[in-house]
Amino acid sequence: MEYLYTLAILMALYVILAASFNFVIGYGGLISIAHPVFYAIGAYASALLARDAGWPIPLAIVAGALVALLASILVAVPSVRISGDYLLIASIGFQLGVLEAIKNIGWTGGAGGLTNIPALLAPGSNHAIYVALTIAVAIATVVLLRWISRGPYGRAMSAMRDDELAFAALGRNALAMKVAIFALGSGLAGLAGGLYAHYFRFLAPGQFDILQSAALLTMVVVGGLRSTWGPILGAIVLEALPQAITFLDLPPSLLGPLQGILFTGLVLIFMFARPQGLIPAGDIWRGRKAMATDARRA
Amino acid sequence: MPAGLEVRGLCKRFGGIVVADAMELDLAPGRIVGLIGPNGAGKTSFFNLVTGVVRPDGGRVSLDGRALTGLHIHQRARLGLSRTWQNLRLFPSLSVLDNLLIGARVYPGESLPALIAGPGRLRRAEAADRTQALDILERMGLAGVAHTDVASVPFGQQKLVGVARALMNEPRCLLLDEPMAGVEGHAYEAIQDVVRRLAARGIAVCVVEHNVAFIRDLCDEGVFMFAGKVLARGSVEDLIADPRLTELYFGT
Repeated sequence: MEYLYTLAILMALYVILAASFNFVIGYGGLISIAHPVFYAIGAYASALLARDAGWPIPLAIVAGALVALLASILVAVPSVRISGDYLLIASIGFQLGVLEAIKNIGWTGGAGGLTNIPALLAPGSNHAIYVALTIAVAIATVVLLRWISRGPYGRAMSAMRDDELAFAALGRNALAMKVAIFALGSGLAGLAGGLYAHYFRFLAPGQFDILQSAALLTMVVVGGLRSTWGPILGAIVLEALPQAITFLDLPPSLLGPLQGILFTGLVLIFMFARPQGLIPAGDIWRGRKAMATDARRA
Repeated sequence: MPAGLEVRGLCKRFGGIVVADAMELDLAPGRIVGLIGPNGAGKTSFFNLVTGVVRPDGGRVSLDGRALTGLHIHQRARLGLSRTWQNLRLFPSLSVLDNLLIGARVYPGESLPALIAGPGRLRRAEAADRTQALDILERMGLAGVAHTDVASVPFGQQKLVGVARALMNEPRCLLLDEPMAGVEGHAYEAIQDVVRRLAARGIAVCVVEHNVAFIRDLCDEGVFMFAGKVLARGSVEDLIADPRLTELYFGT
C-alpha cells in the first residue's frame, strides 16, 4: 500500500512539474530544459530552512518556492535580454553549476545527499493525507495555469510566440512577460520540490540532473505541448512506465540506461510520428467561454 | 512644445550600406505625408529607426516634444507611436478581434501580478478594449470577420486588420508601410477613409507607398527619399513632375 501511495505522490508532483514546464516552454515559448534545477532549489531551500533554521514546514515549503522563483529571475533577466536562445544555454549552465555546488558544499549534504529532513506528516499518520495534499496542489496548479493561459495573458502569450517584434511594436513588454512566465513556472517547480523533500526526507543532487530534464521534456512533448491535459497524461504515463519496467526483474545495472533509452526514444518517435503529442492543443488561441460569449453579446 | 514627430540628424549604416544619412523630417499633427523613393532609399529603415526596431548610429527622434531616443520599442508605442508592416506581421494564432485587442493602449492582462491581484480592473479594461476594437472593425467594414481566425481572412482584409490593429493604441503618430501593396477595391477606399479621419483628429501620418495614385489621392504632401536622405519635399504632383527625381526613382 505504501508503494502505491509513493507512486501517487510522485505522479502528483510530476503533474506539477510537467504542467509548469509546459507553461514555460509551451505557452511561453521559452526554450529551457533546466526545470529540475528549480525543483532542486525549492527542495533544498525548504529542507534546510526546516531542518537547520527550524522554520515551520509549511512556511519552509512556501519559502522554498519563492527562493526558486527568485533564482529563476536571476537566470532569466540577463539571458532573455540578449535573446531567447541564450536562456537554454544559461539555464543548463545554471543547472550544472547549482548541482555541482550542492555536491561540494558541506551544509547541503554534498554528493552523499541531505538526510534527516523533517517530515510534514507526524509519524504514524495516514499517508493518504499526503497523497490528497499533493493531488490538491497539482489540481490547483493545473487550474491556475489553465486560467492564466485562457485569459488576456494567454492571448498575449500566443501573440508573443507568433511575432515578438509586432507584439512589442504594439506596446507590449515581451521581456517582462518572458521573465514572469519563467518565474511562475520555476516557482511552481520549487513548490513541488518542497513537497518532495518533506515526504521522502532525503535529497541527493543526482535526482535533479539532466536525466530529469529529459524525463520532463518527454512528459510534455509526448503528452502534448500547450494542452491542459497533455502534460498531466504525460506525467502519469511516464511516471508509471519506469515503475512497470522495474517489475521486469532486470538487473539494476540495466534499469537506468533502459529508462534513458525509453525517454529519448519516445521523444524521437513522437517528434516524427506525432509532433502534437497524445493530446494536441489547437493552433488557434481560444479564450474562456465567458469571454467569447461576452464578445458575441457586445 | 513642438508637436508631432521630429527627426534630427538620424544616421544608420550597415557596413557599407547607408540607410539613413543625417536624415531630417518633421511630421506635423493632422498632416498626411507620403514617403516616396526607389527601393533601397531607406524608407522602411526610417520606420524601423523611428520605432526602435533598429538602433541608430546617431541622431534624435521625439514625439510631441518627448525624446524617444534610447527607448524600447514597446515604450515608444505606449507614447503613441504606431506602425504597420510591409509583410503585415499579424498574429496567425489569434482571431481578428484578438489581434486588435493585443494592441490596446493599456493591457493590464500582460502583467501576471496585475492579473492575480486585480481581476475587476482587468475585466473593465477588457470590456472597454473590446468596445473600442469592435468599433474600429465596424468602421473599417470588418465587423463580420471579428471572430474569424485572422489567417483565414482574405489578404485585402488582412491588410485592413493590420491598419486597424495599429489604431488600437490611439496613436499620436501613425507610420504606414506599403498599406496598398496587393490591395484593391473596397480595402483601397476603406484605408483612405480611415487615414483621412485620423488626420482630421490631429494625428500625424506618414505613408510609404509605391502606388503613386494612392499617395496623390491621400497625402497633403510628399517627401522624396534617396540614399538615406530627404532630397525634396513638396506637393506630390510637383515631386512626380520633377524629371530629376523620376530619373532617380527609375534608376535610369
